[in-house]
Amino acid sequence: MSHANSNPIDHPEVQLASPGAYLVAYAAALGAMFLELWLVVAHVLSPISLTTAITVIALLVITVQMYLLFKLDLSKTQIWFTVSFIMTAPLIFMSIGLTIWMFITLMQRTMLPGM
Amino acid sequence: MLVDLQGPWNPIFGRLGLLLEVHYNNPIIFFAFMMVVIGGTAALSWVTFTGRWGWLWREWLTTVDHKKLGIMYILVGLVMMLRGFVDALMMRTQQAMAVGPDSPGVLGAAHGYLPPYHFDQVFTAHGMIMILLAATPILVGFMNLIMPIQIGARDMAYPYLNALGLWLTVAAASLVMIALFVGDFSHAGWVGLTPLTELPYSPGVGVDYYLWSIQIGSIGTTIGAVNLIATIIKMRAPGMTWGRLPIFTWTTLASNIIALTSFPVLGVALALLTLDRYIGTHFFTADLGGNLMMYTNLFWIWGHPEVYFVVIPAFGFLSEIIPTFSEKPLFGYVTMVLASMAIAGVSWTVWLHHFFTMGASPGVNSYFSIATMLVGIPTGVKVFNWAFTMWRGKLRFPTPMLWAIGSLFLLITGGMTGMMLAVPAINYLVHNSVFVIAHFHNMFLLIVYAAFGATVYWWPKVFGFKLDEYWGKVFFWLFTAGTLFVFVPMYTLGFMGMTRRLDYIPHTSWEPLLLLEVIGTGFYLLSILAFVIQLGVSIYNREKNRVVASDAWGTSRSVEWMTHTPPPFYNFAVTPVIHARDEWAWRREHGLTNLMPEKFLDIHMPKNTAVPLIISFFTLVCGFALVWRIWWLAAATFAAIIIAMIIRSFDKDTDYIIPAAEVERMEKEIVARAEGRIPAGEPAPVGGGAGGAYASKRTPTQRRDND
Repeated sequence: MSHANSNPIDHPEVQLASPGAYLVAYAAALGAMFLELWLVVAHVLSPISLTTAITVIALLVITVQMYLLFKLDLSKTQIWFTVSFIMTAPLIFMSIGLTIWMFITLMQRTMLPGM
Repeated sequence: MLVDLQGPWNPIFGRLGLLLEVHYNNPIIFFAFMMVVIGGTAALSWVTFTGRWGWLWREWLTTVDHKKLGIMYILVGLVMMLRGFVDALMMRTQQAMAVGPDSPGVLGAAHGYLPPYHFDQVFTAHGMIMILLAATPILVGFMNLIMPIQIGARDMAYPYLNALGLWLTVAAASLVMIALFVGDFSHAGWVGLTPLTELPYSPGVGVDYYLWSIQIGSIGTTIGAVNLIATIIKMRAPGMTWGRLPIFTWTTLASNIIALTSFPVLGVALALLTLDRYIGTHFFTADLGGNLMMYTNLFWIWGHPEVYFVVIPAFGFLSEIIPTFSEKPLFGYVTMVLASMAIAGVSWTVWLHHFFTMGASPGVNSYFSIATMLVGIPTGVKVFNWAFTMWRGKLRFPTPMLWAIGSLFLLITGGMTGMMLAVPAINYLVHNSVFVIAHFHNMFLLIVYAAFGATVYWWPKVFGFKLDEYWGKVFFWLFTAGTLFVFVPMYTLGFMGMTRRLDYIPHTSWEPLLLLEVIGTGFYLLSILAFVIQLGVSIYNREKNRVVASDAWGTSRSVEWMTHTPPPFYNFAVTPVIHARDEWAWRREHGLTNLMPEKFLDIHMPKNTAVPLIISFFTLVCGFALVWRIWWLAAATFAAIIIAMIIRSFDKDTDYIIPAAEVERMEKEIVARAEGRIPAGEPAPVGGGAGGAYASKRTPTQRRDND
């Protein structure tokens, strides 16, 4: 609790703000979205490859945005944020993964085939 | 309108026209309304006639002091617990009255006195209130109150956010209380059973009250979790390394990691259900592509971690109380920390056990069954640690210790039945039976026991005098009698096949056990009276029971017992330096309880602010407007919330400095009072007993209670 940090502009997190990085991240998101839209509309891939391609592109964009927008890197000011973000990853994989598993088996056991 | 609504709606008043259909001539609602009016008038008159409005505003409503916010959290929790208890009383009496086809019915009910629709609202309100608006605020209150002092901090990392968290919780509680008189509450169980909560099956405003009050309350809990975690990471006193952190602080950390990660899931699940009800989407409907089990899935992805969010701080209370009254350090500190973190981690892997009977494959059920059983390992480690702490200790049994030991027994019985419920095959027999209800009440009661123990344990630290032991013991034994009489028959009824949420009991053979449960609620009622008497007697005799040392129990171990009793608003005149795990015990052993600081330094403190109160008021009105679909009011109050936040963010005048000389003057007065040089009635800053870095002549090293 010192007065040295009372000016928000002096905070290291705020100083990381960079219009260039924001624009690149925005352009990357937009580009990826159009690419995925084209993949879906143009039917150039089989359903399985399409799902895989969309997932991979989405993960790439998320990674780019985490770095460019949220500045999640290993520097002294940011490492806490990066570590806590990475530590939520098992929760996300577990909750979504187990959910998919339980609902696939549920559908197999309760739905009529083909419906 | 965005969806077809049954009943009236107009742009000015929304759905308030529905109110014409509410039965205000029902004597139960009328009686509750009169109680609230009389109670509210009495409280307001007391504040007015004693001229305390200014005091109330300055000292409580606009405060950012973590101790006062903690006390208010606990008060809100206790008030809501009383409301939840009245709901329980109604359920027990209804079930005992409505047995068999010949049982009489009054007040419009075919059997008993509560018609099904009203009974369903009662059990929904009971569950939702007890978990989210009683247990959660009481535990968060203790974390707020004790944890910063335990780590040697002056306040939380974000005092303003702390006040906002409290007042949002108050807004959520207020919305639930408004639902009692203005419209209905949800009738679909505290879990919000889909598709019953969907608009076609619940066309009234009850489910909307449920959705918005939980949503508002969970925002409060989430920002509280951010604050508590940041405080533990960033605000520890010098020397307070991770290996020296008191166990209650560790459990606060574990519990809030759970809150921070899981509450967003609840927010999303409820938001999707809200979209279903407000703009006609089909996330959880039974038709048009909706998946109603997905709601249950999302709800329990939050719900099970939430269970551990409330139980882990209770483990923290036990870990503070048991060593104090065993006069030994806690056995197995490292394993205790690891067990807390393990429970927090495993909490995320077990949620399907709430719906084993959904029909998932044996593989899925086996996985979740094994994961659930794994919880028993870290919990077992904790039980053994507490047992070994007591083994060959110099045991004393004042009321906090009684509550702690009671809590241990409940943990063991609740844990055993939990292991039974971890087996999917058993679930096919007892799913949705009152056996499950008895099990989780057993677990929640262990939290209640630990929380009452914590109340008696930390009360002298917070208020400067001890609670009355005689009435405390009466309270404990009456409460324990209530627990046995209600929940042993309930376990039995579960095995006899009684399902939960019954407003009418078809089997007359269940009647004797249901009557026993009513006797149990009678004991609970008496125990609440004993608690009120205990508080009254203790406050009346506060001068006699005044604590004259910083350490009220003489054998406490952690840092909160080093500062004055009660702590001044700045907690520590000089930031303490920590030398050991169990710092206060270490200082006692080394005769370092009488240290005087060489010099005082300026203290930097946060300023009071009314903004959290204002934001919370607008949030309450916004929630009310959304429930009744008064769109203009919702939009206006939402804009007001944003404007208040913007104005606050430009406010640079949020802190102040207490000069070193002023600190020295206040400290000298506190020490003078502790030494009896200032009579108790005379105005002096705060504090009845001095301690910490330095203390009066009557320190715990020289005098101990019962010596």
